[in-house]
Amino acid sequence: MAKIELQHVNYIYGEGTPFEVRALDDVSLCVREGTVTGIIGHTGSGKSTMVQLLNGLSRPSAGTVLLDGEDIWSRPKDMRSIRFRVGLVMQYPEYQLFEETVRADIAYGPKNMGLSAQEIEERVLEAAAFAGLDPALLDESPFDLSGGQKRRAAIAGIMAMRPEVLVLDEPAAGLDPRGRDAILRGMREYREKSGATVIIVSHSMEDMARFCDDIIVMAHSRVVMQGSCKEVFSRSDELAAVGLDIPEISSVCSRLRAQGIEVGEGIFTVEEAIRSLTDLFAEKEKSKG
Amino acid sequence: MAEPMIKTENLWYSYNDQEPGRGEMQPVLRGVDLTIERGEYVAILGHNGSGKSTFAKLLNLILEPTSGKIYIDGRDITAEAMTEQDVFDLRRKVGMVFQNPDNQLVATVVEEDVAFGPENLGIPAEEIRTRVDMALDMVGMREYARHEPHRLSGGQKQRVAIAGIIAMMPECMIFDESTAMLDPLGRREVVDTIEMLHREKGITVLTITHHMNEAARADRIVVIDDGRVLMDGTPEQVFSQPDVLLAAGLDVPQSAALVHGLRKQGIDLPGCVGSVEECIATIVRAYTSV
Amino acid sequence: MKAIAFGQYYPTGSILHRLDPRAKIIIALLYVICSFICKNVLGFALLLISAIALILISRIPLGTVLRSIRPVLLIMLFTMIINIFLTRGDTVLVEWRFVHIYAEGIYNAVFMMIRIFVLIIGMSMLMTYTTTPIMLTDAIERLLAPLKVLHVPVHEFAMMMTIALRFIPTLVEETEKIMAAQKARGADFTSGSLISRAKALIPILVPLFASAFRRAEELATAMECRCYHGGEGRTRMTALRYRAGDFVWLLGALLFCAFAVGCNYFGIGYTL
Repeated sequence: MAKIELQHVNYIYGEGTPFEVRALDDVSLCVREGTVTGIIGHTGSGKSTMVQLLNGLSRPSAGTVLLDGEDIWSRPKDMRSIRFRVGLVMQYPEYQLFEETVRADIAYGPKNMGLSAQEIEERVLEAAAFAGLDPALLDESPFDLSGGQKRRAAIAGIMAMRPEVLVLDEPAAGLDPRGRDAILRGMREYREKSGATVIIVSHSMEDMARFCDDIIVMAHSRVVMQGSCKEVFSRSDELAAVGLDIPEISSVCSRLRAQGIEVGEGIFTVEEAIRSLTDLFAEKEKSKG
Repeated sequence: MAEPMIKTENLWYSYNDQEPGRGEMQPVLRGVDLTIERGEYVAILGHNGSGKSTFAKLLNLILEPTSGKIYIDGRDITAEAMTEQDVFDLRRKVGMVFQNPDNQLVATVVEEDVAFGPENLGIPAEEIRTRVDMALDMVGMREYARHEPHRLSGGQKQRVAIAGIIAMMPECMIFDESTAMLDPLGRREVVDTIEMLHREKGITVLTITHHMNEAARADRIVVIDDGRVLMDGTPEQVFSQPDVLLAAGLDVPQSAALVHGLRKQGIDLPGCVGSVEECIATIVRAYTSV
Repeated sequence: MKAIAFGQYYPTGSILHRLDPRAKIIIALLYVICSFICKNVLGFALLLISAIALILISRIPLGTVLRSIRPVLLIMLFTMIINIFLTRGDTVLVEWRFVHIYAEGIYNAVFMMIRIFVLIIGMSMLMTYTTTPIMLTDAIERLLAPLKVLHVPVHEFAMMMTIALRFIPTLVEETEKIMAAQKARGADFTSGSLISRAKALIPILVPLFASAFRRAEELATAMECRCYHGGEGRTRMTALRYRAGDFVWLLGALLFCAFAVGCNYFGIGYTL
């Protein structure tokens, strides 16, 4: 079932001025409930604009955004409740931290929801755990944390609203492998425990292959591909045409195939490739011996 | 024999108490000995907090070492006798490009920004003009000379920042995570530029990163972990030890991880694997010889 | 994306663009003085003609110029109305209940309009439209250079101006991002009492200041790495040099001033 659906959405910046830019051009897409959907595309492909439509931060110039089949702009006065249901973690979210303690900062969203003090505290602890934040850090000033910790605190601030849809715009940008893995793990854990739908924007094909069920590819303000990870990454020529790569391992496998080693098609993680190749080696060994 | 470009001896560094959140007097660098010859292209790898950025900042005295020696082009820059002029000379010789492209551009016009360094050095106007044009040509940003920096893409801004250093005619350039905030296209632009500077201009390059694919393009990789040099060798040598890299909080390129994983399964894959090409060749060779 | 039309640099390569920025500042000042000296029909006619001439010479499209006046249109209308209704004189034109409109009022209103129009055109044509901000700061630095003797930090001031100009767009963008991020956490900037609205700004201001300080620190380091050490011993790539054309323009402006003073002194030009 579709959790979020975009129907023929257009978005134009500075409409009617000489600086008019069409950022989204007739975009229709569908995010299935309970999945992790990855959005890939270059800077300027329209993906960051698209993400801000999902929780009503911007209003489409034309077309509709549906959440559970209902137009989110049907009651614009009630937009705040949409934002609590669709939690958006923006790029470099650590720059939004402002409270005196990490605890208070994570509590900002739940407080805006008008929850009781007890409920807020509960959610803060829960969200900190999801984000992999050491409880001892909750009483520190957010400005004293390391870069990776700040990022996790900011993400916890969104998770504490317990959104049904968690949208992350390049959550790992600028982090080292450890920081990146911690955040992606937290994302996965949140989804498993809450059953939420997750939408994640990233430049890393390797991360996408590891974590996503579905992939949406954007280029030149349009959706150019949409489907399961396997489907999308098997269309490497089309991806290359819009300047995107496939995971390194997938290209290794396809080049091995070109050299006559019949590794399985549609491989995009190292584990799968190892399994497939090990089988091949074993088979050949057997046929020989 | 020429003096090495950079040489450090038993370099220690601890942040003092005034830096909050860094722990009390925890040494960030614990005795780094490293020699980088003229004309080398070296990548320094390490996770955040490993000390790699601190190391870079010591090399042109943004930070001063707690103890140990640093020789740049044979000159001890940690000596008491260093005057202000000596520091300027050092910074001209060893240029530095930082992480955030926005926070290193000073002027509201691209070419004015590139001119900023030479202007500080007191170079005559005509020569600044020539240098600015040359530097912008080199990074492929000449056509943007009259543009405003804030309208450029991240990769373009970073190339302007590089031009700003080039215009000071450095002998060595340090890139302190200069690609960390860029998208893949911007990253490619910058890495291509870095490689060109090294190959065509013979500039000694030190690039600090945690992107494996970038490090793979260097001639030599130094892995810093916990304030010490953990590994030092060619990309092939470094990537053939994935366990050590993973333990240091780093990634392994997928092709290297594949070969490593196959070896663990008992498949005999001799040789080094530094690049995708080598990985494919190794597997094909092993498969045909079964 | 931000369309701040008023006084943004508009390159056309006209004579005005090529004038020395120092000359332009001086001419603009003289022009402002003239617009205050002129008190009669002849003077205002000359001002109006010269303003139109400036627009034509700058080769900036008329539409763009007129758009730049739009923000001050309200002020112009307001001054006009005040002048029409509040000026007392001898020649009554309209008399209806408590409303008295005198010819002098109309006369004053028209002149005030012309004066404001001429001021805006003069400043924007001579400075903002035809001179990049960096050229302006540069020119100010050089014009004020003699003050260095008195230990006035002229260079530092100019550097601050440049950096401010460089970072204003960046910080505007940043503010928008932070606002969006806090809205995504349910921040509400538009409803509630004045106090609660002011409070709602804290989540924007704190991150904004934190970011500005971080940027300042990083920029300072980057500048040091590029051997910045104040104005001493510093050269400039674009050395400003007065050319013959600059002197012709300066002379013209001076003559205009002298003429305006002369008119007033000898009572030439039609006055009501």
